[in-house]
Amino acid sequence: MYLEIVSPEATLFAGEVTSVTVPGVNGEFQMLNNHEPIISLLQEGNVKVDGNVTIDEDYASKFSKDADGKTILPITSGTVEMKDNKVIVLAD
Amino acid sequence: MANLKEIRNRITSVSSTMQITSAMKMVSAAKLKKAQDAITAMRPYSDKLTELLQSLSASLDADSGSKFADNREVKKVLVVAITSNRGLAGAFNSNILKQTTVLNDEVYAGKQVDFVAIGKKANDFWAKRAKVIANHSGIFDDLTFDSVAAIAEDLMEQFVSGNYDRIDIVYNKFKNAATQLVMTEQFLPIVPAAGGDAISADYTFEPSKAEIVEQLIPKSLKTQLYKAVRDSFASEHGARMTAMHKATDNATELRDQLKLTYNKARQAAITNEILEIVGGAEALNN
Repeated sequence: MYLEIVSPEATLFAGEVTSVTVPGVNGEFQMLNNHEPIISLLQEGNVKVDGNVTIDEDYASKFSKDADGKTILPITSGTVEMKDNKVIVLAD
Repeated sequence: MANLKEIRNRITSVSSTMQITSAMKMVSAAKLKKAQDAITAMRPYSDKLTELLQSLSASLDADSGSKFADNREVKKVLVVAITSNRGLAGAFNSNILKQTTVLNDEVYAGKQVDFVAIGKKANDFWAKRAKVIANHSGIFDDLTFDSVAAIAEDLMEQFVSGNYDRIDIVYNKFKNAATQLVMTEQFLPIVPAAGGDAISADYTFEPSKAEIVEQLIPKSLKTQLYKAVRDSFASEHGARMTAMHKATDNATELRDQLKLTYNKARQAAITNEILEIVGGAEALNN
C-alpha cells in the first residue's frame, strides 16, 4: 500500500510499504493492505512503518529504526486517513 | 561647471551605494528562493487538512456549535498585523500599516481595536497609536511551525475566553517576486468550511466525526496563521529584491550621468589650458 507522511513543514515520506502502525486516540492499531477506510485522530506516540523504506536524507534525523527493523517516527498528535490502500498521515 | 573634485567624490559615493544595494538584492534573491520552497513544502499538509475538514463538516449537521464558530456581536476586535523586522523593502510594510489603519479608523470605527504585532515595523507603528497586546517580532529569526502554532493558540485562547469577539489577520500574500497582495483574513470566529463534498459513508471514524472536526479546527487555524506568516516572509524578500533592483538601476543611471559631466568638465579644463598656452605663445611672437 501507498503511504504518505506529511508534516506542516514538509512531506517527510512517500512510498510503498507493507504495513503501518499508528497511535490512535483509542489505542494503537496496525493497517495492512485492504484495511477498511478509516479516519482517526492520533495521540502522542510512534508511527511505525514496515517495508523497504528509503527516507530522504534531509529528514533522516527525524526517523529511527527499532529492534524489528521497522522505521519509527515519533509524533505529538496527528490524523490518519486510509482509503483504497492509500494512507495519509498528517503528523504534527 | 561644478568642480572636478566634487564630481569625483559624488561618483565614488554613488558607486559604493550601488555596491550595497546590489549586494542586498543578491541576499534577498537567495532568501526568497528558500522562502518559496518552504511555502511549496507546506502545501500538501494544508491542502489535505482543508480537504478533510471540508468533507467532514459537510457531512455533519449544519452547525456543530464549535466554540471557535461563535458569532458574537462584535465589540472588541483584535488585528494581527504581519510585517517585517527590517525596512528597505519598498511599500511592503507601509501597505500593511495603511490597511490596518483603515481597519482601525473606518471598518471598526467606534469599536475597541487592539493589535498583535508580528514584525518590528507593526509594533513600532501601533505601539504609539493603540494597544499592542503582544509583539512577536522574534519569530522571523527561526521561523518554524511550532513557534507560529504557539501564537495561534494564544489567539484562540483570547477568542474563546471572550476577550475579543473577532480576530483578523492582515498580511502580504506572495504572488510573485514583484507583486504582493495585501490580504485581510478573518481568523476567528471561523468561516464555515464550505464547498467540500460530504464524505462517503463507508469510513470508520475514531472518535466520532464531530470530535474529529473539533480537533481539526485548531490545527487548521494554526496552519492558516503559519501560511500567512510564510507568505509574508516570502513577500518581504520579494519586495526587498525588487526595491533593491530598482535602487541599483537608478544608481547606475546617476553614475553614468555624473561620469559624463565629469568628462565634460575635464575636457573643458584641458581646452582652457591649451587656449592659455596658445594665447601666451601668440603674445610672445608679436
